[in-house]
Amino acid sequence: MSALNRQRALLDFTVAALARRRIKNLALVAVFATVVFLLASAMFFASSLRREAEATLAGAPDLIVQNLSLGRQAMIDAADLPKIAAIRGVATAEGRLWGYYYDRISGANYTVMVPSAADLVPPPGEVIVGEAVPRVRDFKWQGTPLFLSRHEGDLVRFDIARTLGSDVALISADLVLMNEVDFRSFFNVPAGKFTDLAVTVRNPRELSTVVEKASAALPDARFVTREDIARTYQKLFDWREGVMVALAFVAMLAFAIFAAEKATGLSAEEAREIGILKAIGWDTRDVIAMKLWEGGLVSGGAFLLGTVIAYAHVFWAGAPLFASVLKGWAVIYPDFRLTPAIDALQLGTLLLLTTLPYAAATVVPVWRTAAADPDAVMR
Amino acid sequence: MISLHGVSKTYNEGRPNQVTALHGIDLAIAPGVTVFMGPSGSGKTTLLSLVGCMARPTTGRITLDGEVISSLPERFLTDLRRRRFGFVFQRFNLIRGLSVLENVMLPAAPLGEERAVVEARALARLESLGLAGKARMPVEVLSGGETQRAAIARAMVNDAPVLIADEPTANLDTALTHRFLDIVAALRAEGKTVILTSHDPRIIAAAPVTAVVEMQDGTVLEVRS
Repeated sequence: MSALNRQRALLDFTVAALARRRIKNLALVAVFATVVFLLASAMFFASSLRREAEATLAGAPDLIVQNLSLGRQAMIDAADLPKIAAIRGVATAEGRLWGYYYDRISGANYTVMVPSAADLVPPPGEVIVGEAVPRVRDFKWQGTPLFLSRHEGDLVRFDIARTLGSDVALISADLVLMNEVDFRSFFNVPAGKFTDLAVTVRNPRELSTVVEKASAALPDARFVTREDIARTYQKLFDWREGVMVALAFVAMLAFAIFAAEKATGLSAEEAREIGILKAIGWDTRDVIAMKLWEGGLVSGGAFLLGTVIAYAHVFWAGAPLFASVLKGWAVIYPDFRLTPAIDALQLGTLLLLTTLPYAAATVVPVWRTAAADPDAVMR
Repeated sequence: MISLHGVSKTYNEGRPNQVTALHGIDLAIAPGVTVFMGPSGSGKTTLLSLVGCMARPTTGRITLDGEVISSLPERFLTDLRRRRFGFVFQRFNLIRGLSVLENVMLPAAPLGEERAVVEARALARLESLGLAGKARMPVEVLSGGETQRAAIARAMVNDAPVLIADEPTANLDTALTHRFLDIVAALRAEGKTVILTSHDPRIIAAAPVTAVVEMQDGTVLEVRS
């Protein structure tokens, strides 16, 4: 109880001391919170994107088989489908139809595909579009038809059956889904040709064996596993997150210089105050405990503030400050809200990396001053 | 009883600006009111610091009630300062931005007592010094005399048996000096020991003073009781 009362009394004094130097402390909290905000925003963003990518990949096929011609991807024959389906361990094998469409009106590229899920297949003459398509086309009314220009130059009208939700907007923003007949007709893809083959296997541990056998059956084909795609995404995000971390590092460096300047010494007023406290019976430990409370309140408050603002910035406002750096491998940047995903370990590390150096920078000069005799204050 | 045996104090030892403030002081301070007097640079404040455990002698030893205190580790010296001594500084050194009551409660903060208990004690001290009405006010609004009384209240909040005051009347007019002497007399009546530095003749000749230590150039010239 006595220790609790002591801490409460020290805390009371600390709060009063902070209030007395409120402008200086508010400036300090603002600088500190900005650094935390930058780092936390980058972390929240990257964590959320990774989770989104993982969720997206969870529904992807185990293996994609692509036909190569002159080293580039070419249409694959439907005749290759049974060769893959016959491999022991293959659960399903189906041909996929997809491609890119350059929209001269909006200057954007759409990803056009025939969905494998039956509920996503639109009726003839209709399309299901990602949320960015009506946006870039500036459709003001529901029901506005989508006119797409074919290779021959004529315009083809598609009615929009519906727009996809923003939950998978990271990859679906620029999607245009149409049925197989419309797709083949629009792109002049002959029957018996697919863009690639999507394969699922019964046991994921046998995937390498399936790939080996498929390679023997289709020597000119390229095989892309889900892990390959995941690795590509990971590299992409590591690089982008690295850019953000580099920027945040500069901010950290500025803060470190600020903290180091603080660590080099106390103001005459602070030193005098410590002398008074020592002279009237405060122990060196009491002074350090008081300063730890002070550092804890400043750095903890700034951390909380920076983290809350970062959360709001990333998950409510859509991270306008650096979305263009980090977001999107859909060709049109999606306008969507990320699902909140917080990596507790990363956040804990950030807490330690920001508050501990500050606490040390605060306590060291205080300890040096408080360890001296209070005699000087008498003079 | 506080005793000093061969006490000397050198500042900045081994440096070009080394200065010896006290030379081999032998002195006994009995309960009552003791005044260290002498011109500036005579060593009064240094002696007060040593007696109040705010600095350590370079040589010699200091005892309090027969116990050597000059060689105690820092934490024991802090405990002595907290429980046995109350300090009134020349410039009073109240902490700005805090209320009078918060300033008075400061020495009790590390003791771990209930806040209500400390607050009641601090208010009682302020009331006895005629400052109860200003307890919640910031110290910046106090007059010179009120600031001094607040400093005395702070020094006595832990009920220390020894009050140490450095030039307590240096910035006060005659009326406030007499008011201070009344407080000193009241403290003496409570059984406290009061040790002051001063070169104010009104203090030296005052009724409550029981001993005057005359100092010059870091030595004791004369002790008058």
